[in-house]
Amino acid sequence: MNYLFLQVLTGLQISALYMLIALGLTLIFGTLGVVNFAHGALFMLGAYFAVVISDAFGFSVALVSVPILLFIVGIILERGLIRFFYERSHTDQILVTFGLAIVIGEVLKTIYGANNLPFAKPSWGSGIVKLHEYLPFLEGFVAYPKWRLILVVVSFSTVAALFLLLQFTRFGLIVRAGMRDSQMLAFLGVNITRRFTIVFGIGAVIAAIAGLFGGPITQVEPELGMKLLIPSFLVVVVGGMGSLPGAVLASLLFGMALSFTAKYAEIQQIIIYLLAVVILLVRPRGLMGKKGLME
Amino acid sequence: MAKKSDISKTISRRSILKAGALGSVAMSAPMFYAKNAWAESAIGNYPIEGDTVMLGFNVPQTGAYADEGADELRAYKLAVTHLNNGGGMLDTFKPSKLTGSGILGKKVDYVVGDTQTKADAARTSARRMIERDKIIMLTGGSSSGIAIAQQYLASEMGIIFMAGLTHSNDTTGKDKRRYGFRHFFNAEMTGIALSPILAETYGKERRAFHLTADYSWGHTQYDAMKRGTEAQGWTTVNNLMTPVGAPDFSQYLTEVLSSDADILVLNHYGKDMVNSLSQAVEFGMRELQKNGKTMEIVVPLFSRLMAQGAGSSKIQGVLGTTNWNWSLQDEGSQAFVKAFEAEYGFPPSMAAHTCYCQTLLYANACEVAGTFYPPEVIKALEGFEFDGMGNGKTLYRAEDHQCFKDILVVKGKSPADKTGEFDLLELVGTTPRETVTYDASIFGGELGPYEPA
Repeated sequence: MNYLFLQVLTGLQISALYMLIALGLTLIFGTLGVVNFAHGALFMLGAYFAVVISDAFGFSVALVSVPILLFIVGIILERGLIRFFYERSHTDQILVTFGLAIVIGEVLKTIYGANNLPFAKPSWGSGIVKLHEYLPFLEGFVAYPKWRLILVVVSFSTVAALFLLLQFTRFGLIVRAGMRDSQMLAFLGVNITRRFTIVFGIGAVIAAIAGLFGGPITQVEPELGMKLLIPSFLVVVVGGMGSLPGAVLASLLFGMALSFTAKYAEIQQIIIYLLAVVILLVRPRGLMGKKGLME
Repeated sequence: MAKKSDISKTISRRSILKAGALGSVAMSAPMFYAKNAWAESAIGNYPIEGDTVMLGFNVPQTGAYADEGADELRAYKLAVTHLNNGGGMLDTFKPSKLTGSGILGKKVDYVVGDTQTKADAARTSARRMIERDKIIMLTGGSSSGIAIAQQYLASEMGIIFMAGLTHSNDTTGKDKRRYGFRHFFNAEMTGIALSPILAETYGKERRAFHLTADYSWGHTQYDAMKRGTEAQGWTTVNNLMTPVGAPDFSQYLTEVLSSDADILVLNHYGKDMVNSLSQAVEFGMRELQKNGKTMEIVVPLFSRLMAQGAGSSKIQGVLGTTNWNWSLQDEGSQAFVKAFEAEYGFPPSMAAHTCYCQTLLYANACEVAGTFYPPEVIKALEGFEFDGMGNGKTLYRAEDHQCFKDILVVKGKSPADKTGEFDLLELVGTTPRETVTYDASIFGGELGPYEPA
């Protein structure tokens, strides 16, 4: 019972980080139609900002400033680079964003070196939680790192907040309409371009949240972006390109798969790719992808 | 017409004869000047033309071990300076024929390559240095997979390879080559040196869970630690292979938590070790009570760079082995540290130390052999015994080209005990060379011929 519970918790916690990164990716793809391979680099940038600011001024300052910083970075990126690629093919988008990711990684390495920057957790988030004290069905001593539990909570809260924003606000309504038919919206006199710029900024903010809460777990190093981008991109594809619930579902699936196969190295190292192949063979549009999209 | 062609035939026959005679005289000429020249033919980039000798430093400038590579490069440059102008360990290394005016009267120069911490990239850049830059000796590398790949390539091309940081038993075990030499210690020595101290510190009734990096080095490290600790009475509960470069180890740590193990052995290196150790501490594994004992973490291969990455609050009290540490007080180590600090402003890592030693050892072997001819240089290195490079009296064993020297067992210092930014490891014991010497035949492998086919 304890073992099963720990495995589920670990699976949940692995998926939490994938979910945060995939969420930004799929949001940008779903609205702007851009395959943003620089999203992993944005996450990494968030983690670097977080560790540097947190070391200098404390974690609470980082908590407020890093999302704002990343929002600005996102806006600059969209206006300065990405918008020129809306009309271009997905291949061009992938090439330019992939190139951007490499540049960001190399710049960070030049400044901070190739080794890990140790990311100290704030005092309120370190230590372990004795789960058996709260959950009577657990026998004996069961503990889990507090920070990882916080990550799970933050991740699901972010999903909920994004969902609320898109479903129940005027801004969300316009963005969703823009996703369907941006030309029609422009005819109706709505400035959809500005909204899309903001959406890109929101994607970057989610990457900042992932960096803030994921950084202390993964440590901060210049290859981190690429390491997490590939599984996260897979999450987006398996979940269905542009589908938020799909991304949530697929990241949960991947997290559990990784956790439950940890004992079997031969399978574990390929399990998510195996899952992706099987799912995409049976259902090419992904778990919750729209019919006809990327099919 | 016919006559003319007859004449041309005679002329050509004559000229061929002449050329042949001249050629044979030219070929026999070096006999009178160079030692052992009667047996020497062109191998690799021998003979060297001109008055400069080229060395190839192939280090990771990008990828997971880039910081280590940068430190290795610093050491190599320092070694070249010392070979050309004297200083550093040239004053302490003995027996030595090094003069501080190059090697065999030739000025030492070097080229640098980037292994990118990948075996195929390492081979490409090594090949480029051998073919284009005409290097006579190849050295460098961090990670055993890359060292072994370079060693095979260098052996095929007749270039001596002086391995940098590589700790897998395979490098001088099943993959050993006549043209490859390793100064660094290996997993087997770690197992022999560390296990008794572990049993002494943590008791003989211990149950160990291993997490192991899934490649050549990790496998041999696990194997050596398992044998070493089981001989001390420990039980091995389980071993999980983890992919190199994993950012998160929680799924494996969950397995450790759920087992009845009271020791966690991390057969990880570099960033992997920094990550797995940090996360194990995060999971409370250093305070946990299992089987009535406090759970402990062991890092068999420890380095100052890794300790720095993890931070001293996490490594305090953690036991492991290391090839060398800058705090050693022998005159060889001190001479190197002094020269390195004067040049760069901070102390060298163990990767830097082994690379520096390797360069000097190669240069000295050339002086001893009196030639750059690889088979003679190899013979000068085989069975060479020396001192004054740290770690006491050291032997380059002829049978497998592995250096045998005293092994250092270290412990992470607590933040309170630190005297400075780089003071992270405390020496808890030195295992003498005789104790860590094992039978050369146990890992199999063949050195191969002195002259490559």
